[in-house]
Amino acid sequence: MPAVARRTRWAAPYALSGPAFVFVSLLLMLPLLMMLRLSFYQYDAAQMYIQAFTLDNYVRFFKDEFYRQVLWTTLWVSAVTTLLCLIGGLAVAYFMARTNSTILKRYLIIAIVLPLFMGNVARTAGWIIILDNKGLLNFLLQQLDPGGETLQLLYTSGAVITGLTSVLLPFMIVTLNSVMHNIDVSLEEASLNLGASALTTFRRIILPLLMPGIFAGCVLCFILSMNAYATPILIGGPKFYMMAPTIYKQISAAMNWPFASTLAFILISLTMVLTVVSAVMFNRTARVGALR
Amino acid sequence: MTSISKASPLRWTYLIFVWAIILFVLVPLATTIWVAFFSNKILSFPPEGYTGTWFVQAWSLEAFRSGFFLSFQVAISASVLALCLGVPAALAIGRYKFRGREFINTVLMSPLMIPAIVAGSAIYLFYIELQIWSDVQFASTVYGLTLAHALIAIPWVLRLLVASLAGLDPAIEEASLSLGATRLTTFFRITLPLIRPGITAGVLFGFIASFGDLEKSLLLVGPGRITLPIAMLNYLEYRTDPTIMAVATIQVLIIAIALIISDRYVRLGRTF
Repeated sequence: MPAVARRTRWAAPYALSGPAFVFVSLLLMLPLLMMLRLSFYQYDAAQMYIQAFTLDNYVRFFKDEFYRQVLWTTLWVSAVTTLLCLIGGLAVAYFMARTNSTILKRYLIIAIVLPLFMGNVARTAGWIIILDNKGLLNFLLQQLDPGGETLQLLYTSGAVITGLTSVLLPFMIVTLNSVMHNIDVSLEEASLNLGASALTTFRRIILPLLMPGIFAGCVLCFILSMNAYATPILIGGPKFYMMAPTIYKQISAAMNWPFASTLAFILISLTMVLTVVSAVMFNRTARVGALR
Repeated sequence: MTSISKASPLRWTYLIFVWAIILFVLVPLATTIWVAFFSNKILSFPPEGYTGTWFVQAWSLEAFRSGFFLSFQVAISASVLALCLGVPAALAIGRYKFRGREFINTVLMSPLMIPAIVAGSAIYLFYIELQIWSDVQFASTVYGLTLAHALIAIPWVLRLLVASLAGLDPAIEEASLSLGATRLTTFFRITLPLIRPGITAGVLFGFIASFGDLEKSLLLVGPGRITLPIAMLNYLEYRTDPTIMAVATIQVLIIAIALIISDRYVRLGRTF
């Protein structure tokens, strides 16, 4: 009897997580592997693809100026978006953690989480009416300066960064907020009492304690903006190219599955490599920081 | 508060900055709701007057109406399926230490990290191969779509349930076991009632994530059977008018209600 109990206890977590694990593996991991295999196939207009093992698709990507440019745009837009999210997120998360009003705390988090769950399309629709040539911002500018020129705001990289930042800021805020809760207020008070300025206290006390949250939030924002689809399509317009829309276009318009798969795996592996590299760098600096 | 004087200019700049950011997150939402009530036929400012007719107009458009029902149906079945798979998995991850725990957790959370458009295409490819192999059609069917949406909901169910298990003292379950209850009885009589708030929130979040999904569904929907977000995208690519804003407003309302309900069960501020 005890032997049986020990055996079932050993197997229990696997039996419990098994169904979900098999489900995700079968429906996501296996299809991704199939797509990886497809990226080495040859494109054929008549048959869609021919089985082969060729690096042509990858060579095409790195030779073609256009696709390199798409990847570069995706990278810098994501980097800028992540940085903006971090600056805004730090301010709001700190405010939310330190406010004394429980009502403000409670409804502010709902207000921040609400846009998070709006769905990409509905969230982006709001930015379209603000940034359109006949939209809210241009209308307000006209009121201030009648006869002034209409500004082309939509379909610019600035508009895409604006849209992405507002979409991803809530992710940063909730991530930082959860870490901020665990930082003892008395640490801050001690620093202030000992004569450090508010800015020094923030820089020397809060920021170092917040580093794990900052790291997690930045990784999340960066990955999500690298993968963004709806925002660049709707706000960026037909001439603004980022990776995710380009992948879908290769499938839906060009029907070039092998090349689409190549683009997909370049996007996934680059995102993964950058995440791992930053994790290693983060751990190293965190250790150096602890020694200091 | 100690030494920061309430009226210092630094403090004022900081507060203005904070509220500007909060406004920045909320303004698109507020503008959407505002414009939905404009009586202008095309999008322009200022409003000529206010009307509720765009809501009627939105409802009269077949694509939005059937899209709404399809999204609703898929989101419900997907979140229930995700719950059936997610509750045991959350128990394993939240209550046991075992070899491969990190790996299983990473795989189960991966639907959040893999680009949704890539995942959608890969699943489509898989469905096609499956159809060639078994003669059963999955692509462009409602159940094929539902399976893919369960994938969207699983990470949310898992995340909320693991968080809610972490807040539950294992001693209570151990007490039940040592008093002679079986593991199954303990689960149904002790653990389940205690994590019910987490389950409710997990289902709601899974529902919301599935309801708003665009990218995973793009290739998986069938002709004439599209989800609400796809119907909205198709519409927005051609025109921006108060009708589409009315549709978005309805979506905001549904989700806001779902969130306020979940906040009653789990404090949203602590679940993240």
